Order: sequence, then C-alpha cells, then structure tokens
Amino acid sequence: MTPPLYIALRFLTHRKRALLLSLSGVVFGVAIFICTQAQTQGLSRYFIESNIGSNGALVIRSRFRPRYEPLMVAAKNSKASTSRRLYFEGITNPNEIMRVSRQFPDVISCSPVLRGTVSARAGFENATVDLYGIDAALHARTTDILRQLIEGSFDDFRNNTSAIIIGSRLAELLQTSVGDTVQLLAPNGEYWRFSVAAIARAGIGSIDSTRIYSHAKVAQALLQQPSGASMIIYKLRERNRAPMLASRFETLFQHNALSWQEREESTLQLFLTLRMSVAITVSLIILLAGFGIFNVLTMSVLAKIKEIAILRSMGYRRKDISAIFLWQGALIAAAGSIVGCLLGALMTWGVSHIPIHLRGLLYTNYFLVTWDWRHYVFATLLAILAVFIASYVPARRAAELPPVVTIRGSR
Amino acid sequence: MSAQVSLSCDRIERYLGEEEERVHALRGVSLEIEIGSVHAIVGPSGCGKSSLLYILGLLDTPNAGHVSIETETVSHLTDDELAQKRNKFIGFIFQFHFLMEDFTAQENVMIPMRKLGELSDARMRDRAAELLDGVGLGDKLRRPSRHLSGGEQQRVAIARALANDPRVILADEPTGNLDTANSERAFELLQNLVHERGKALLLATHNPAIAEACDWIHEMKDGRIIDSQVRNRLS
Repeated sequence: MTPPLYIALRFLTHRKRALLLSLSGVVFGVAIFICTQAQTQGLSRYFIESNIGSNGALVIRSRFRPRYEPLMVAAKNSKASTSRRLYFEGITNPNEIMRVSRQFPDVISCSPVLRGTVSARAGFENATVDLYGIDAALHARTTDILRQLIEGSFDDFRNNTSAIIIGSRLAELLQTSVGDTVQLLAPNGEYWRFSVAAIARAGIGSIDSTRIYSHAKVAQALLQQPSGASMIIYKLRERNRAPMLASRFETLFQHNALSWQEREESTLQLFLTLRMSVAITVSLIILLAGFGIFNVLTMSVLAKIKEIAILRSMGYRRKDISAIFLWQGALIAAAGSIVGCLLGALMTWGVSHIPIHLRGLLYTNYFLVTWDWRHYVFATLLAILAVFIASYVPARRAAELPPVVTIRGSR
Repeated sequence: MSAQVSLSCDRIERYLGEEEERVHALRGVSLEIEIGSVHAIVGPSGCGKSSLLYILGLLDTPNAGHVSIETETVSHLTDDELAQKRNKFIGFIFQFHFLMEDFTAQENVMIPMRKLGELSDARMRDRAAELLDGVGLGDKLRRPSRHLSGGEQQRVAIARALANDPRVILADEPTGNLDTANSERAFELLQNLVHERGKALLLATHNPAIAEACDWIHEMKDGRIIDSQVRNRLS
C-alpha cells in the first residue's frame, strides 16, 4: 500500500459522518441511475421485442418502378428533374423473393402476408380491423404468434380454413371469446363467417386492438386481391443489421423494404427522449453527490492543513499530498459504485415486482425493466468522473499549500 | 571548525510579505553545523530564527544565498528533490509537535519511514517501537496521539524526527510548550542522540538554560547573526 493510500484510508475512516455523507450521495446516485435506466429501457425493449415479434425485423412491401434517370442524357436547356418513385401495390412474385432472400445468412425465416382493412361484426359490436392473411406454418416460424396466444390453440387455427386468431383487445371490444363467431365484411358487401380459434396478445395496444389473422387464401378471396401477398416479413439473426439488409433487398428486389428501426422511428425516438431525459435528471443527482464530496474534501483539506504541512516537512511531495485527497475520492467512488450497483440491482428487482395495470401503448401487469450490464458500467463511470472532478480541486489546493505558511501561522 | 560540516548556509537573504508589509527577515546569514554538535539560535521574537530554520530545513527557499547539505548545494534542486532530501537527511521538531491525530504514536513515527520506503512494514513497526522506547513511550505505542499529554506528544515528535535516521535535526522551540521537567527531559534526549549517534542539532529557543547547555550559541537580531559563541568543546 502506498503511503498516500494508507494516509487517505485513515483520513477517511476517521471522519465517519463525512464519509457516510459522501458515500450516500454516490450510492443513491448510482442506484437511481441504474434503476431508472432499467425502467425506461425496459419499456423501450419490451416495445421493440413485441413489435418485432409481431411485425418482423424487416418487411418488404410494394414494388416500385426502377429509376432510369441516371442513364439518361438530359437535352440541352432542359431542366432535368428527378421524378418521384412510382409504387405498385403488393409483392410481385413473393415466392421467388422469399427463395432468394432465404439465401442470405442473416435471414432465419420469412413469411408472406396479405393485408387489408375490413369491418368486423360480432353480436351487436362492430370494429374496423386489420386483416392479416398468413401462411400458418411460415408465420409461426417468423413471428412470436405462438408465444402470444393467451387462449385457444394454434392447431385449431391451422386445421380450419374458416378459423381466425383475434387480438386480445379487439376480442374484448367485440365481446368474443374462443369458439365464437366473428363476421368480416368483404368489399362486395358480403359478410363472411369465421370462428375464433385463438386470442393473441402482442402487448402493443395498436396491434392487439385491431389485428385479426386468417388463412392467406381465404383473405385473398375475401379481400378480392389478385396478389397473393402485400408484404413479406422477416425474422433475422441479428436484428440490428436490419437497415443494411433492407437497403440490399430494395436494390435486389426493387420492392420497398423497411427495417424495424425505420418503421417504428417515431416511437423509438419517444423512448430515447424519455430515456435521455431521465438519464440527465439522474446524472444531476450524481453531480450533486459530487458537489457534496467537493465540500467534504474541501473541509477535509482545511481541517488537515497542519497535517499537510507536517507531511511536507517530512518529505512528502506535492503529488503525494494531492494523491492523498484523490485517493479519498477514488475510495468513495469505488465503494459508492459497488454499493450503488448492488442497491440499483435490488431496486430494479423491487420495481419489476410492483404491480401496475398498463393497457395503453403497451400491455403489462408489472413494471417493465431490463437487466443490462452497460447501465452499471455507465453509472460507475459517471460516478468516477463526478468524484474525480470533485476531488481534483481540493487535492490540487492541498498540494499547493505552502507548509511554511501553515507552520508559521500555528506559532 | 575542523569537524565535518553537515549543514551550512551562506549569505542567506529572505524577504517575507508583500509590498508595504514586506519585511527583510534574514540579512546575509551564514552558518555551519557540524556532525556531533548542538547549536542554539537565540534572539527576540521576529529576529529571523524560525525563518532561518525553515530555509535550512529546505521548507522555504531564500531570495539570495544558498544552502548546502554536506558538500552538495541544494539551491538548484526541484521541489520533489528537496522533499526527498527532507525525508532522508532532515528531521523536524516543532513547538506544537504537529502529530497526525488520526494515527497512534507508533504510526506517527512510521509515517516518514513509509515515505522513504526502505523498510518492510514489520521492520518499520519494530524501529518505531525502538524509537518510542528510547523516548520513554514504549508502553504507549498504540495510543492515539490525541490521547497523549503535551510532553508525550513532544517525545513522539522527537522519535518521529529520528525515524529515518537523519543527519540533521532542526527544532523550532522544541520545549516551548512544555513544563520545566519535560523541557529538560526532551533536551537531554536530543543532546544524547546528537552526541551518541553523530547527529547535528540546530534549535531555536527562548530558554536560556537550554541555550547554555548547547555547544554553540548564535545570537540573532534583526535578521542577522550578531554573535556566535562556543560553549562546550566539540569532540
């Protein structure tokens, strides 16, 4: 143990009240930072997981006409203008696109979906619904539909062409349950009868309150669509590679391709803003803790002014004196961070067990939290930085104290 | 002076304070302190005794003149190098003993040794115990320094000044805060150490009895040494 560390330890442990005050600031700052990040990121991650679990990490939609403008030579005096991309609804040759895209190592599976908006009726209740015509086997492989079922059976849906899976909130709205009949209105004005095989809960309000899954062929006939698919959704090995893959698919297939990041940009930005806002607020707590440490160490320098002079007279260098106070800060930061991380984990666990009844944007019965080691590292780094800044000035001040002035002043 | 010179200064000038409060504290002071000798500096308060002591102890730097340890001039040394010299060659004793109050008597004595870093922890403890035993505090090693009496604290300060076996001991009124019995005891202790272990001692004092018992008496007035007398024959 170096002499400055030895002296720093003694200075710290002999001022228990000041030590406790400094430590508690760091401990609570770190713990609250971890806990709030776990909550805000928990909400965001739950939304992302649920969204990707229902809509895929990447989706290919309408075909567009290739642009030939770059090949064209503009006529003299003509004002060359770039025309807007021209889209054609639906996927052209979905089977071929799926066959080719499965060759990409990032793609785990893909599933065609025929999508349309229809009116649903059950008993006396009506609702406008988002009809997803799916291939049961492919869709089960590509999405989390099996995990999302809260009532009924997926096999009942798969084995019955007139069966549907209905979103949980939509089921509540239409007051239907498994085995009940729901009628869907075709564009030609005819009602088609379906039996509810299962109820699914994605956990996202906008999906659960509007979505109905039916068999693709049935949906195609009901919607009177010539195309077999209006989109293809993908499950990827590495979801963060979705934007890169979307760009490649657009070029390759000449179809509009959207990554989940692009598709949910506005909601993700909302979560990010919320997270940043909370992080800034909590960082202020840590900075306040740093201010507390600054005060404690400044008081310590003043209280130890004679000790500093005597240490200097005994041959301790300026940097040794400075190190004594920096070590005090470092010890507070280290102990505060360790205890803060433990308390943060405990608080996060506690918060995750608080019951809440959230039925809006997201569906949850408990606070959503995420366990991410980066929160602990970031909180610790923030605490170290704040404590270092707080210790630096008193440490420097202590090092600059001329010992002779103190000794003369004590006569 | 034929004996080996341990610490010397030559034509030291020192100004203290700023502008109209500026005081010419030392005016061309020269002094040589030999191994095995005890030097006393006497004079009225404010005559420059302490200023000279701090400059000789490398705690302060003169405006002119230079200080030498043995044959080496230290004027050009950096702050870190001066600190190293203080740690190894000089032991300080102050009037107000300046012990580290969060530490025990033994730990106080170990603090200069820790800085020097030449001994193991166990050896440092043994040496500190020996030194404290030498000043009659062998039974109070683990007592917190703030729980010691004034005389005991001063004896801990003496033991601490000897921790790294320095060649020179500088004492600024080491008995100024003690009663007569403790003053005599502390001075005898220092005197014996100088004569038995070949140290050099320079002390600033107001106590005529102590000054009379020294080998040399240097009388200071208005920043100058106005008289130097040999009291005892040097061995």
